[in-house]
Order: sequence, then C-alpha cells, then structure tokens
Amino acid sequence: MMIEPAPITAVMRALADPTRRAVFERISNADEITVVELTRGSGVTQGAISQHLKSLKQAGLVAERPEGRNVYYRAEPEGLAPLVDWMSHYGSFWRDRFANLRTLLKEIDP
Amino acid sequence: MNEAAAVTFETQDIVIDEVFPHAPETIWKTLTNGELMGRWIMPPTGFEAVEGKHFTFQTTPAGAWDGTIRCQVLDVRPNERFAYSWKGGDEGNVGYGSRLDTVVTWTLEKVDNGTRLRLVHSGFVMPKNASALSNMSNGWPKVLSRLGAIAEEEN
Repeated sequence: MMIEPAPITAVMRALADPTRRAVFERISNADEITVVELTRGSGVTQGAISQHLKSLKQAGLVAERPEGRNVYYRAEPEGLAPLVDWMSHYGSFWRDRFANLRTLLKEIDP
Repeated sequence: MNEAAAVTFETQDIVIDEVFPHAPETIWKTLTNGELMGRWIMPPTGFEAVEGKHFTFQTTPAGAWDGTIRCQVLDVRPNERFAYSWKGGDEGNVGYGSRLDTVVTWTLEKVDNGTRLRLVHSGFVMPKNASALSNMSNGWPKVLSRLGAIAEEEN
C-alpha cells in the first residue's frame, strides 16, 4: 500500500462545518445511506445535505453508488489519512504490538 | 504578544506501561533477539543488540519516503534497559510520512507477579494545541468530534 501525501487543509475544511461533520458521522455509522435518509431528522433541507455531500466527496471522505432512482453514499475512511500523524500512527502501532507480545510470551514461556 | 500568530512546537512521548507475568530475562529476549522481534514488532534487518549497531525496519512508504525506519542501538543494559533511535520520513510529507526523528526506550522492572515493561517512544514534534489530533488512534469515527474542534481552530 502507498499513502500519497494529501493536503491536510482540504480534509480539515470539509470537516470544519458542524453540520457537514454530523452528516459525515451519520454516513460513517451506516453502511450506505441515501440523501433522503440523511435529510430526515437533520433539521436542514435536502438541498443543503446535497451541498455537504458534494464537499465531502471532493475531500475524498465520501463515495457514491447510483442504483435505480437512488444514490447511496458511504464513508471512505482512507480520506482521513492526511490527518493521521506520526503520534497517532505509533500510538495504535505500539498498543497492537503490546498485544502481540503478550501472545508471543504465552507461546514461548507458557 | 499576538498569540494567534505564534506557531510553537513541542515534543511529545508515547508511553505504554504494562505488567507481564514473565521473568525480565524472558522479556529481554523478545526485545533483543531479531527473530523474536520479528514475531511481535516487525522483522528487523541487520539487527544486533550491540551499542552503536545500525538496523532497519521496512514499513509503508509515503510520497518520497520509501518507508525505511533507520535505527541505531543507543543503550543496552541486560534485563533492565534497551534503547534505539527510530528515524524516517521525508520533509515533503505531511502527517504520516513526514520527517521523524525519535527514540524508543524499553525499561524492565521486576515486580511480584512478573515484569513491568515500559515503552517510551519520545521526540514527536507536534504543533502546540494540535496534540488532541494525536489522540485519534482508537478508530477514526469516534474521533471526528475532536477532529472537528481542531478543524474549526484551523479555519
């Protein structure tokens, strides 16, 4: 896998708006979701949701799949990659390694 | 003084501290034997637990950086302390893959029920105020609200 360095600001900007962030969170929590479902209970118009989806798509955070009359949206976690810095990378890296070590020690020193 | 205009950096450490129900000698082996290291950290190349010795790990490349982590053994105190430098990255990258100049230090301490193993991975250069970003390692959806707070600051 190659990680291409992407401008951090595009992702930051896309997530800066609280409504857009809420939209992204709802997409993240669903496998796939339509504009109609996203609009329901959001307190904003379908047009506004569509605009937010456009921004999220441009930032690489959301992908779409048209099917019949509907368009289904899903989150693209790789879009957040530019925000993952060294410290967060190694924070989870070492936690995983400690778990590996526990398993290895059980094997070599039961 | 205009605080908003001042960009300051600080270095931060990752610290993990756990007790393992095994003797320090056993844990020492997993830290200093290349074959065993490969079974829980990553397989090292050219490794020897000898002060001054250089070795590498191969990780995921990013941009101009080929993913090689360059290490040098800094301190070897059998069953007590083991430290090496951990360098990599490229200045052209942002976030993962940016310049990295850090030190990994393992400390072992015998306790009643085994060994307390402490990892300190030190020297992460972080822009001040952005440290909350580094806490996003527990899965990305959960941290969005925190990221959002930072994104708002940046805007």
